[in-house]
Amino acid sequence: MNKPISLFISRSNTTSRINKTGSWRFARPRYLDKTAPCSAACPAGVDIPKIERAVAEGRIEQAWQTYMEENPFPSVCGRVCFHTCESACNRGRLDQPVSINRLDRFVGDTALEQDCPVDQTVLPSNGRRVAICGSGPAGLSAAYFMTRLGFACEIFESNSQPGGILQWGIPAYRLPKAVLAAEIKRIEGLGVKIHCNQSVDADVLARLQASCDAVFLGVGLGRSLSLDIPGSEHMADGLALLEAIQRGAPPGVNGEVAVIGGGNTAIDVARSLVRLGALPVILYRRRRQDMPAFEHEIEAAEAEGVRIAELVAPKSIEPSDDGVCVQLGGMKTVETGADGRPRVVPDGVRNTNLIFSAVYSGIGADVAEPWHRPDGDDGESTIQLSHCILDVGSTPLVYGGDPILPLKSVTDAVASGKQAAMGLHAWFEGGREAIADALDRSQVGPGPALSMEIYLGGQRRLRARHVVTPEEINIDYFQKKERGSAATLPMEKARATFEEIEATLRPERAAEEAGRCYQCGLCNNCDNCRIFCSEVSIEVVDGKRRIDFDYCKGCGVCVAECPRSAMVIEEERA
Amino acid sequence: MRQVLEGSHAISEAVRLARVQVTAGYPITPQTHIIEAISEYFADGTMTGRFIPVESEHSSMAAVVGAATTGVRTFTATSSHGLALMHEMLHWASAARLPIVMGEVNRALGPGWNIWMDQTDSLAQRDTGWIQLYCEDGQEALDTTLMAYRLAEQVNLPVMVVIDAFFVSHTFEPIEVPDQADVDRFLPPIHPRFALDPKEPVALYQMAPPACYMEMRRSIDLAMDQTAAVFDDVEDEFEAVFGRRYGSIETVGCDDAEIILVTTGSATSTSRMVVEQLRGQGEKVGLLKLKRFRPFPVDAIRKALAGARKVAVLDRNFCFGVGGIFAQEIRAALCGLEPAPVMFNFIAGLGGRDIPPDLIEEIYTTTKTHAAPVEKSIWMGLNEELLESCGI
Repeated sequence: MNKPISLFISRSNTTSRINKTGSWRFARPRYLDKTAPCSAACPAGVDIPKIERAVAEGRIEQAWQTYMEENPFPSVCGRVCFHTCESACNRGRLDQPVSINRLDRFVGDTALEQDCPVDQTVLPSNGRRVAICGSGPAGLSAAYFMTRLGFACEIFESNSQPGGILQWGIPAYRLPKAVLAAEIKRIEGLGVKIHCNQSVDADVLARLQASCDAVFLGVGLGRSLSLDIPGSEHMADGLALLEAIQRGAPPGVNGEVAVIGGGNTAIDVARSLVRLGALPVILYRRRRQDMPAFEHEIEAAEAEGVRIAELVAPKSIEPSDDGVCVQLGGMKTVETGADGRPRVVPDGVRNTNLIFSAVYSGIGADVAEPWHRPDGDDGESTIQLSHCILDVGSTPLVYGGDPILPLKSVTDAVASGKQAAMGLHAWFEGGREAIADALDRSQVGPGPALSMEIYLGGQRRLRARHVVTPEEINIDYFQKKERGSAATLPMEKARATFEEIEATLRPERAAEEAGRCYQCGLCNNCDNCRIFCSEVSIEVVDGKRRIDFDYCKGCGVCVAECPRSAMVIEEERA
Repeated sequence: MRQVLEGSHAISEAVRLARVQVTAGYPITPQTHIIEAISEYFADGTMTGRFIPVESEHSSMAAVVGAATTGVRTFTATSSHGLALMHEMLHWASAARLPIVMGEVNRALGPGWNIWMDQTDSLAQRDTGWIQLYCEDGQEALDTTLMAYRLAEQVNLPVMVVIDAFFVSHTFEPIEVPDQADVDRFLPPIHPRFALDPKEPVALYQMAPPACYMEMRRSIDLAMDQTAAVFDDVEDEFEAVFGRRYGSIETVGCDDAEIILVTTGSATSTSRMVVEQLRGQGEKVGLLKLKRFRPFPVDAIRKALAGARKVAVLDRNFCFGVGGIFAQEIRAALCGLEPAPVMFNFIAGLGGRDIPPDLIEEIYTTTKTHAAPVEKSIWMGLNEELLESCGI
């Protein structure tokens, strides 16, 4: 047998770690959580990716606590929010946005079902009392957040039940009142007193200002708008109809009923009329695509049989044998106005008279009293913020909710209450400058969404403001998957009752849907960075990934292969 | 036991019998059947160890390099572009002195895309430090794979067992599949000369500066030189157990031949028949089958071809700017021989084109009727009309 030739290979008993390849580096990777577009688009700045991760991993109560950090109404908003989060969702580029709104509802309903206790940071009492006028979403949110910031809050509500627009304006098929009651009860459970049947007039307000340290005025829009046309007294108030239905005393309606308007009120009125057995026709002076109502609401109304007559304006209303006769004038679009929609003017051609059994207004509402919003005198004592206005002339008076909001949505009202709480807290801490600092510090992404978690110094403050763009997502790591949907009532049944149309997502479906979330900008321990690191220089210490810069060559593969842009690479500084 | 097997499965049977512990693989036609059968053996427990599916051939060689470093018996297989992608890791395997065995099914490289027989893929890897053994049929593929482990583990160099695309890989033939007990006798478990062991950590293969790099290369060269002798020993032992041997080359009628045809792979089988017929007609023709390409059996070739007036080398491969690769090597091997035979280099059967008996006969006639080749490489069976239509 041949004697084997000696093997001559490099071999060492010292570790190759002696070769500190980190000295070759001229670029340095870093873990940096960023802002997901959904959370920046949410008026309440809800930490959506964190919630979806918890749902996907079956930690529903944690998901709920994360929601409650920024918004006390998961089950309400999970039903009625117009979800700008979904429009901003980066996943929309791949297939469809994550069904965030349905997941919020799932989280909220699960917590209600399990009666989860609120476990949020509550600062010790600061000894100050705040009177809150109005128990709509703005007032209730103000109470919730102010309580957490150490204020003692009392709410004064003119109606017999709290909830404002949520109770009286939003029909039960969109928001069952038991859900609302449960979420309000939870706020009361934090020590907030709600006094119903307590109207606040100017005198009461003056007394409250004298006896409290601050007043929050969020009484909503109490006066329905009417048309200034001959015979407008023959027109019924749409908001009053919604309230009457809620009180269990709806008027009898039948046949074709006109609803005037193009906003969400008009849609709610029309859809409620369908359920009362009428055949509603929406009369709108502009085009369908110009309607301020949310598109999904318009679509649902049409699906239920609501007809929309566009480019028609009522000119007069007269009683007739069969009800009312509405004289309609045709409209035509002209040049685009300041709001981006074309202006409309009478076309002078199409004039028609239509007979309806009744006519309802749905053109919106305004403040019941002029003092429900600031007088516009932007004096020294006024601090104008994005979602509320503080008058700090004497006892601080904070205006919030619909009267001062440019976009009148429930979630904007929540944002209003939150901003009012932060603003007031900061005012007492350090005056006008403290407000500016605190709000700037608490922004989610570029704002105006604010985060209470950041305000209170939570971990979320460490995230970069940068909002992750679709291009920054490594789309190779995601596969197309259909968006989750929930069961709905059959159309025939939906049209005949005020029962809620859509069911809550089933738990397994919710977990699956939450798993569709990219987790934009948030490390979810997927470990791609560690797997790809050719220097094996990423280690996990106490569940956190750590880069060993003795060996990291700065190749950047970790950053390039991060599916969700939770890392950055920067030039190495000498 | 005699079984009807395709050439690919002759190799996978040998891998099973060799009790290979780790196989990595990535599918590529016409190799896929080899890896496929082995993966099933691992899945159903016929083979024990690990099958590592990978995302590329580069990774499959990297995986077996890693596994072999721990001292286990390893296997992978590939073809064509897969082999080309492995190129970097082929150097690694040999310089790391790892006894890896690889099945390589000769297939043409694209473009134009072509999945058929052509030897240029494996011959392009001739300088990577791998032992290369070309097989004529399924039986030889099975036997050679078994011998490859003995050879590799003794000289600590990797071995490529090469078969023709389709002509061997997908052709069913009766093949003698040895008993496990006999194979175990011939091929005992691997006793690695070195192996990574977590209990005694060492670092391997780190930087080799100018002061020692040449010496390391020289040791590989010496191991490759020694391979020739070890190859004969292994064949002796194989023959003792199984009764078959192949040789680094095989000669048929070369002793009295004036013209000797040099072939590799399955074209050898066809040539055997043609040579037999021609000799029956009184032609002084012989046949040299080249099996072991690396290390190249220079002495055996010089000895076998020394008496011939002319040598016709059939290349199913091509090196642009030079000619057929086997012809280059044989020309170099004969250098300085007096009197030297006249060399004819025929190019045939590229990209899966058939090499039928009459083409081999034409090669013989051309060699016989010309005192010297009219061209450096004579391309056989070209479609002149097709060339003309392309303006060539």
